[in-house]
Amino acid sequence: MSEKKNNQVSRRQFLNYTLTGVGGFMGAAVVAPMVGMAVDPLLQADGSDDFEYVMDVDEITTEPQRKTFYIDQQDGWYDTEAERAAWIYRDENGDILALSPICTHLGCVVDWETGDHDNEFFCPCHYGRYDKNGVNIPGTPPEGPLHAYEYRIEDGRLYLGRANPREGA
Amino acid sequence: MKWMHQDVQNYTKAKEYIDSAIMPLIPFSFQGDDELSQLAYQHEVMQILMTQIEKQLKGRVFLLPVYNYLKQNKLEDEYERLETVVNHVNEQPFKHIFLFTFDKKWRKYSSKIDAELIWLPAPQQGDLNQVETQQLVQSQVSEIEDLIKEQWDE
Repeated sequence: MSEKKNNQVSRRQFLNYTLTGVGGFMGAAVVAPMVGMAVDPLLQADGSDDFEYVMDVDEITTEPQRKTFYIDQQDGWYDTEAERAAWIYRDENGDILALSPICTHLGCVVDWETGDHDNEFFCPCHYGRYDKNGVNIPGTPPEGPLHAYEYRIEDGRLYLGRANPREGA
Repeated sequence: MKWMHQDVQNYTKAKEYIDSAIMPLIPFSFQGDDELSQLAYQHEVMQILMTQIEKQLKGRVFLLPVYNYLKQNKLEDEYERLETVVNHVNEQPFKHIFLFTFDKKWRKYSSKIDAELIWLPAPQQGDLNQVETQQLVQSQVSEIEDLIKEQWDE
């Protein structure tokens, strides 16, 4: 009689098991999305592979053209759309160059051929100058060439990615 | 440079290059619903102008925190408070201080204060998501930029 009873699950035990089980599932259902949200920024890709369409390749000339585009930028928990600009042209070898307009000195925005600075990029803040290839002209404050965007061409369309520092003067 | 941790660190390393401080003077008030929306709109436009200027001229301009004041405060008292702020900033190695405001009441203090007070005509309320409004604001940004550059060249 007693052996038989040991193999049986009592009503009390059965209720305990089922209630803990169901309760556990309910708890998990509530907690899982919260954990997901809390660690969300860690789970997402860093977006470094994002390329944005900027212009058609046959529009690119030897004269730098300024183009703006938008990228999704993540600052921790915040998702913002950030504006990026690029000076796009073909250099003397016919290679495409997409330069960031951010001065490598302290971060002002440089302009192509302003005032009497022919064939140069010019920074209005501390009069930094860069030649047509975006290489800083020695004797002016910038310490490196303008950064160049990674680019990709698909079906005659130019896509830009990240801007990287370059070697130079 | 902005009043932010990373920028301030860059600033302390390059003080000799960052010789201009800019500060917006922005009033607020809850008196009257019409004025409320007008002031809020002006605040929004001013913030856009300032962040755009800072972005363009980051390496030479330091954007200070907003100088807020109650619209109905007596400007004489407010002027004294502003003067202490300006004097404090003047003790730093800044060569130029630009104050920007849409509030025309400040104009009579422009000669008294030890800074360049720039009064901008208050914008008509518009939709900042519309392209036309954005272009209008953008053209004002370029104007202000030229004005600052002119001061530098003097």
